[in-house]
Amino acid sequence: MNMTETRETAAQPPETEKEILLDIQNLKTYYPIKGGFLKRTIGNVKAVDDINIQIKKGETMGLVGESGCGKSTTGRTILRLLTPTEGKILFDGKDITKIKGNALRKARQDFQMVFQDPYASLNPTQSVGDIISEPIRNYRRVSKKELKPEILELLGRVGLPAEAYDKYAHEFSGGQRQRIGIARALALKPKLIVADEPVSALDVSVQSQVLNLLKELQDEFDLTYLFIAHDLSVVKHMSDRIGVMYLGNMVEVADNKSLYAEPLHPYTQALISAIPEADPKKRKERIVLQGDVPSPANPPSGCPFHTRCPMAKAECAEIKPALKEVKPGHHVACILY
Amino acid sequence: MVNVTADSNKSQEKTINMSPWAIARRKFLRNKLAMISSFFLLTVIIISFLAPFITTADISKVNIMQMTLEPSGDHWLGTDKSGRDVFTRLLYGGRVSLLVGMACTALVVLFGTIVGSIAGFYGGIVDSALMRFTDFVLNFPFLVFVIVLSAIFRGYVDGLTILIVVISLLSWGGVARIVRSKILAEKENEYILASVSIGCKPSKVIIKHLLPNVLSTIIVQSTILFAGLIVAESGLSYLGFGVPQTIPSWGNMLSASQESDVLANKPWIWMPPAIILTITILSINFIGEGLKDAFNPKSNR
Ligand SMILES: Nc1ncnc2c1ncn2[C@@H]1O[C@H](COP(=O)(O)OP(=O)(O)OP(=O)(O)O)[C@@H](O)[C@H]1O
Ligand code: SF4
Ligand SMILES: [Mg+2]
Repeated sequence: MNMTETRETAAQPPETEKEILLDIQNLKTYYPIKGGFLKRTIGNVKAVDDINIQIKKGETMGLVGESGCGKSTTGRTILRLLTPTEGKILFDGKDITKIKGNALRKARQDFQMVFQDPYASLNPTQSVGDIISEPIRNYRRVSKKELKPEILELLGRVGLPAEAYDKYAHEFSGGQRQRIGIARALALKPKLIVADEPVSALDVSVQSQVLNLLKELQDEFDLTYLFIAHDLSVVKHMSDRIGVMYLGNMVEVADNKSLYAEPLHPYTQALISAIPEADPKKRKERIVLQGDVPSPANPPSGCPFHTRCPMAKAECAEIKPALKEVKPGHHVACILY
Repeated sequence: MVNVTADSNKSQEKTINMSPWAIARRKFLRNKLAMISSFFLLTVIIISFLAPFITTADISKVNIMQMTLEPSGDHWLGTDKSGRDVFTRLLYGGRVSLLVGMACTALVVLFGTIVGSIAGFYGGIVDSALMRFTDFVLNFPFLVFVIVLSAIFRGYVDGLTILIVVISLLSWGGVARIVRSKILAEKENEYILASVSIGCKPSKVIIKHLLPNVLSTIIVQSTILFAGLIVAESGLSYLGFGVPQTIPSWGNMLSASQESDVLANKPWIWMPPAIILTITILSINFIGEGLKDAFNPKSNR
């Protein structure tokens, strides 16, 4: 707290604080579990359970966590492909939490998604030209022919040949398909792109090409990214700030450097210790977590991590620690801090 | 042998730059049985619908002088017990049978697809409500209902129209169920989420993204239906509850065989419709099989 104040007053040319593009407050997304005789709701999968995220314009926020911790659900809720159970989503100052119908459709122009599965995310009955021009034609009355030059330019921009225009998705490799998906997301010139594990289905050799493309496009199109990955090493290369999720909760948020240099949350420490390190001097002892991830339908009381935490104390099972800023820009949810 | 490999190699190359539809079409064109069946069916359809130009004989006029004549130069397939030319009636009958089959298929597919895709896409309460209704319709005693309804409306509305409407209203349930389950599976794909994300309205998501990807199922289903509905028409007409007796249909012509004398001694009266009906149904089914095969990405014909 003290340090923030000093920084603010000491800054000589007042560092123009970047505007916040996305502000997520106490977001919860539950999937109802239907069951029993009349298909009533008998419980909830608490896929996202009270998280806060702020993303500034032009920034890349990384989101990591094990499979099933609620990353995709978070991304999809932010883009309003799902409706949140509770909480608020402010996009560019507007509250988009509850809008629907045409208002929502209009709002979608500003935020797009790059999907995880390069095979399932492209309609097999559409040509590439159709796929990429469709977003534009959903908002502008314009013929495919008129749009063609624009689409060809986009194709070139994502590194695909002009001949791709008339082809179908099944004729491309995974990496090329992902480029098609990126071009589709770019077509509307959105402000925010949520990239949901965009390279996890690709060969390692193509992964870095696609990541580099995303980086280049960010500068060129003034994009803000929410970059989702289950792998800390991928996120490291992409993100300015990183959020670590565990069982629907945000357990640590920090800028890239301090998260890797000084992970505070025991879960983050375990994740980082699992990254293979080439330099033997830097190699640390790997923290192996015991037990399985609990079910989000029946999360543990208190700290969600206490069933596996090597540092857990008795009160961890009772008190749920809130995410708080323990160092400037470094937030963690753990009673140790 | 060499030739065959070369050919299949060529076919491998050719699939490049082809839409899934073009690939399916090519596979279908190479399926001999399906092609012969299509050719046969097309011929039957064309000849039946051109009946007025092919024969000039009167189909309805009773001719006492020419009752139950055996096939001859004048009457290629003989005459029936009322002295009407069997060949002429076969053509006109085909027209009616095929028309009833097509009209019913079109209505059934249309209605089934609308109900099934809305239920599958929206899910939840909409789905439950629509599917309860579908089950209700599916559990209707078909025959009883057709008989009662056609009895009620006979005389007020054109008998053929009633038949088409009644059959269609009672038959869409199966299509609705199949389309729904296909849509349910298909909408899990990320491209559906993507289409919502890029700003497609729900109607566009269904029509442009979901339906084209379940269309192959719908097409295969409609061929099966077409065959089934022609049989249904014939069965009902045979029993006397289908196409009004004054209009010839294959089913109506078959009902002459209810008389044991005709069945045993005058085969020219009932054999032609029986044979043509059988071959038509068979060829429609072969076409259906061919389509199923053509749409199956795993088959390599
Ligand atoms: N449609 C759904 N209905 C019910 N539960 C769901 C649904 N989708 C996801 N879940 C559950 O919600 C939790 C979070 O899922 P989510 O897909 O957001 O995780 P994720 O972090 O993206 O995982 P992954 O790395 O596997 O993509 C999981 O336990 C999952 O089983
Ligand atoms: S609160 Fe307790 S259980 Fe949770 S991470 Fe901190 S020490 Fe571990
Ligand atoms: Mg996911």
